[in-house]
Amino acid sequence: MLLSQNVSAIGPLNLYPMVHISLVFGISYVVPDLSDESCTFKMRFRNFQSILSWELKNRSIVPAHYTLWYTIMSKPEDMKVVKDCINITRSFCDLTDVWVNTTDMYISQVVGYRENAVVVNCMGSFFLVSDKPLDPPKFEIVDFTNNISVNVKFQLDSPRIPSEELQFYLAFIEEHAGNSVKRHQPQITGNITENFNYVIDKLIPNTNYCISVYFEPKYPRKINRSPLKCTLFRPRRESESSEPATIGGIIILFLLTAVCVSTVMVLKRIGYICLRNDFPEALNFYKLSVWVFPELPPLEKMATVEVIHITRKKKEWNYNYDDESDIENEAAPRVNSGGYTKHGLTGRLCPASTTSASLEDCSLEDCSDPSAEEPYLPEPKRDAETRVAPGPGPWQSEGTSGGYQMRGTLWQDPTSEEDSDSTEGSEGRIVFNVNLNSVCVRALEDDKDSEVTLMSPSRPEDTAVLEDLNETESSLLVASEEGTQLPFTDPSMECLRPQDALSDKSDTSESDVDMGDGYIVRQVNLKNFN
Amino acid sequence: MTYRCLLQMVLLLCLSTTALSRSYSLLRFQQGLSLEVCQNFLWQLPSTPQHYLEARMDFQVPEEMKQAQQFQKEDAVLVMYEMLQQIFSILTRDFSSTGWSDTIIEHLLEELYGQMNRLEPIQKEIMQKQTSTMGDTTVLHLRKYYFNLGKYLKSKEHNRCAGAVVQVQLLRNFSFLKSLTGYLRD
Repeated sequence: MLLSQNVSAIGPLNLYPMVHISLVFGISYVVPDLSDESCTFKMRFRNFQSILSWELKNRSIVPAHYTLWYTIMSKPEDMKVVKDCINITRSFCDLTDVWVNTTDMYISQVVGYRENAVVVNCMGSFFLVSDKPLDPPKFEIVDFTNNISVNVKFQLDSPRIPSEELQFYLAFIEEHAGNSVKRHQPQITGNITENFNYVIDKLIPNTNYCISVYFEPKYPRKINRSPLKCTLFRPRRESESSEPATIGGIIILFLLTAVCVSTVMVLKRIGYICLRNDFPEALNFYKLSVWVFPELPPLEKMATVEVIHITRKKKEWNYNYDDESDIENEAAPRVNSGGYTKHGLTGRLCPASTTSASLEDCSLEDCSDPSAEEPYLPEPKRDAETRVAPGPGPWQSEGTSGGYQMRGTLWQDPTSEEDSDSTEGSEGRIVFNVNLNSVCVRALEDDKDSEVTLMSPSRPEDTAVLEDLNETESSLLVASEEGTQLPFTDPSMECLRPQDALSDKSDTSESDVDMGDGYIVRQVNLKNFN
Repeated sequence: MTYRCLLQMVLLLCLSTTALSRSYSLLRFQQGLSLEVCQNFLWQLPSTPQHYLEARMDFQVPEEMKQAQQFQKEDAVLVMYEMLQQIFSILTRDFSSTGWSDTIIEHLLEELYGQMNRLEPIQKEIMQKQTSTMGDTTVLHLRKYYFNLGKYLKSKEHNRCAGAVVQVQLLRNFSFLKSLTGYLRD
């Protein structure tokens, strides 16, 4: 006879705050003892098994064996004994194959015997649809280089997991690392009906990770977690696997380099290729610094150039050798406002070389070769500050009316800078080189005749501004340079005839220096004529 | 003119179909959530069914509720709507002697009313279009079942025993309703 025990097994839905979830042993819920029941029932669902266990409140009374009975509420049926749980000493019973109707409510009864006496009798009720959580699916974990892959498999063929029930569940994956638990919710489109794979990344190296998969009802219900599966995350697999690859790559690179070098050496020995050590200058990189930072060219000496306008009255040779007043007047030195002393170079003008006939007609002073060129003057270096344009001299008349002209170019030899010092001390002595074959040099009798007109300054730093109001001819560029001097001879120019050159020599204190090539440096001392 | 009307009808049909398809997904979620709440309210009612084994009765639960079977969404809607109506009718009875909390009963009624409001437009449309393939047998079985429940409560004068027994049946009903929501798919 079964004693009716007031064992209340209230549904666990209102006991969620008190329901504990064992991560290791699966789901179980406790029926609170709201009556004077002598025992407490626990229902566990794990691995598709429904295990009913009980625990006595009064531990002083320990039954020798137990027997489990059950019935349903939908029909007025009698209690039925569980065949596998008759006179058992254990305090639990497997009801997987007994309680199959999940839509009905089961009433359980445990009777404890001791020496054939009933010492314990307790009952409980279980509504499996609400009480039994969905069994977790099976899953596998695979370690990768930097993540763990969880492959979840469903067993939809199990009658205990109706497919339509899955719609009410969400799959969760829990990650246990030490004391921390992290829950992942795979994003599954639609219902949970197919296997899926979930990757867990951002893991800490050398850490033991335990993974659990379970179905959680979409609505507040119990959770049945799967047993944990643990693995030691070792990310060094990647480095370990990469080390042989790195070593292999280094070896291959070394082999390739050796092959290339040996090939080049062999080709060089057989003469197929010829390696040179002497590179052309273009490939001379020793002076790379020079290329990168080329030396700046030396600064060029600058000299200001002024255009001197000399207006000179056109002279007409009157063929009157006695009247030299005009020449004298012209040769008179003029002192300009700048304090410069102008010396005019006067003398007989030879016929212009442009008209050879006129030269030939020159009877008195056939001093020049019709084809004579201009007096040779050492060509100055290309130095802008000492350049003098060999233009028409102030004493030259542009007219070719047959008048005689004196040609000459005024020049300043920059190389004579050094030599100019030697002539600085010569006061009143101007030295210049003139091709005697092309000019007529004549010694003047009067002092005035000794005055010549020069077109270059006597001082190196000065700039000569020669102005002759009577002159109408074009100007001559005069350049001045600091430290340069003009090696001019005495400002008296003589139109020498070759036959008179020797005869006139005694009349003057001049001295001739043969410079070769038909040029004679005539130094005329003005003092002799003053 | 005829073509315009035809075009408008086609557009309306397409739009309504689209609206209905979209509403099934939302309906499924709403219904499921509401049913879960109802179950929780039922569990809050004091009940010790193991103490009222003698008050058990066979109410001839329909076979559709005992075993899982396939339903079309239109059939599921019709069944759900019928069941909700019947449950609502039962809960409006006087359960004061059962010891149930009036507040919980009110909450239950509110949830049931909301579910019926959501299902009613769809249910009417299905009835008008006659798109349901389910015969009248299922509905008849359901109505007989709930008639027996009402009769039982009346015979027991809504005492605690009858309340406990009806509570268990309501839990079973809500569980079946939850399974029907799974068929509300697009």
